[in-house]
Amino acid sequence: MFDIRIDESGEVVLSGRFDAAQAEKAKAVFDQLAVTTSVDFKDLVYVSSAGLGVLMATQKRLSDRGHKLRLKNVSGHIREVFKIARFDLIFEIE
Amino acid sequence: MHDSKEGPRLVPAVEQKFKRHLDSLAKIFEFIDLFAAQENIDDDTKRAFDLAVDELFTNTVRYHPSNPNDVSIELRIENQTMFLRLTDFDVDPFDLTKKPDPDLTGSLKDRTPGGLGIYLGKKVVDDVQYHYLDRTSTITLKKKFQKKNV
Repeated sequence: MFDIRIDESGEVVLSGRFDAAQAEKAKAVFDQLAVTTSVDFKDLVYVSSAGLGVLMATQKRLSDRGHKLRLKNVSGHIREVFKIARFDLIFEIE
Repeated sequence: MHDSKEGPRLVPAVEQKFKRHLDSLAKIFEFIDLFAAQENIDDDTKRAFDLAVDELFTNTVRYHPSNPNDVSIELRIENQTMFLRLTDFDVDPFDLTKKPDPDLTGSLKDRTPGGLGIYLGKKVVDDVQYHYLDRTSTITLKKKFQKKNV
């Protein structure tokens, strides 16, 4: 089960499995962002390339306006996927 | 390494067919979860197969959306190695093993969303084999695993 929400502080909170079946749902939320935003991965157990694509498209769009996504609480195995995809080069991971 | 005094335990392959739709991903993950739990396969290996099969299955849904055939997934174990075979019926050939790796060294401006799926799928397992015959595509993934503590 995947969930995505924007909490009261404006942070995006992800949980569950972010796979291709969830990409549209996630995109609808990320498309609302217009400024630098933290994304909490604490309860995210899995991300596939479809999820990475949504994150990258958002990062590119925000970057054009001088903003960015900041990723936090990224688990070890998701960090490993980020490393393979070289997302460590294009995202700030706290 | 032997599992018992009699030698390695033979684990029968299990196979299930899945509708060609992204909603099938949850059922595929359940299928792998159940097999991994029964065989005490470590979490890293299970996650690697989740990711690899997600990318392969998503690819076949996207590139053959109108194909009415279900997609078959078979799981088996041999010599401390887990195998996953994805069979796709009545499709054109596409040898993913020959697809060049994407260039991931560019800056954010140079990179494009997408194009990572097959690359990730190949990187997280030990080996990927592709076979095509009579309009049937077969992709076999394999990865050595550790037994979870029981």
